[in-house]
Amino acid sequence: MDGKRTTPPHPNPNPSSAALQAGAAAAAAESSKARMLAFHFLRALSRIHRVTPVRRRTRTIRRAAYSSMARAAGPRRAWSRALLGQARARRARRAVLVRRRVLTAAAPAPAAGGGGGRFIAAGGETSAAAAAAASRVLPPRQAGEPPRADALRRLVPGGDAMEYCSLLDETADYLRSLRAQVQLMQGLVDLFSCQ
Amino acid sequence: MSSRRSRSRQSGSSRITDEQISDLVSKLQDLLPEARLRSNDRMPSSRVLQETCNYIRSLHREVDDLSERLSELLATSDMSSAQAAIIRSLLM
Repeated sequence: MDGKRTTPPHPNPNPSSAALQAGAAAAAAESSKARMLAFHFLRALSRIHRVTPVRRRTRTIRRAAYSSMARAAGPRRAWSRALLGQARARRARRAVLVRRRVLTAAAPAPAAGGGGGRFIAAGGETSAAAAAAASRVLPPRQAGEPPRADALRRLVPGGDAMEYCSLLDETADYLRSLRAQVQLMQGLVDLFSCQ
Repeated sequence: MSSRRSRSRQSGSSRITDEQISDLVSKLQDLLPEARLRSNDRMPSSRVLQETCNYIRSLHREVDDLSERLSELLATSDMSSAQAAIIRSLLM
């Protein structure tokens, strides 16, 4: 593993205590961030294990990964706010669908129609979301912004509404959190598989 | 040069300078996985953005793959010993 968490060897023979303290503080901050990540994700995982039917687990676990990542990062980052907003919107849509299903179950409706209705609603939502994203007013592009930035905007949550400078900053933070989340999930897979 | 002209126009309207942007781009470059293999030569910013997009896409794919494996393992594993192992590793 790379030495990201360990303090690098000091070049001078008498390392200043301030530098050591800063390194220790940085390591402690990182490990506390990792602990927050693990806390949110494990809490979600245990709920999924109890509640979620097996066929929906993969999708739910993936969404829980992004939600817990965003929750651990907190609301001070634009990408985490965007992810939490998406999760909230998804829960609201699910509530509407459940209500609709309950109402149609009260009045006898064909099962295929109910299931197809769910898929059609999901497709309609994604196309509506895509249409909304296309018609959204984009922030003015800066003069020096390379064309690659558009692909980056699509990848980073909430990237559509950012200026180029904030996009770069948010991307770095999103990348670090994504990497930590992947490391956490890989560690869990290792833990679960060899016992 | 046109870049100089546009820079002076920008510095009047916004406080974001080219230096800040190149600083952010170099921070992104340091996050990339190949940054440790290469010596820290500055890659062109378009290359950095492209590599960042590829890296984010590969991380998304890893999250999907790990979610699938986790869902399989949740179904089959023994939860109590797994929980004990997790708590032990978190408290270390």
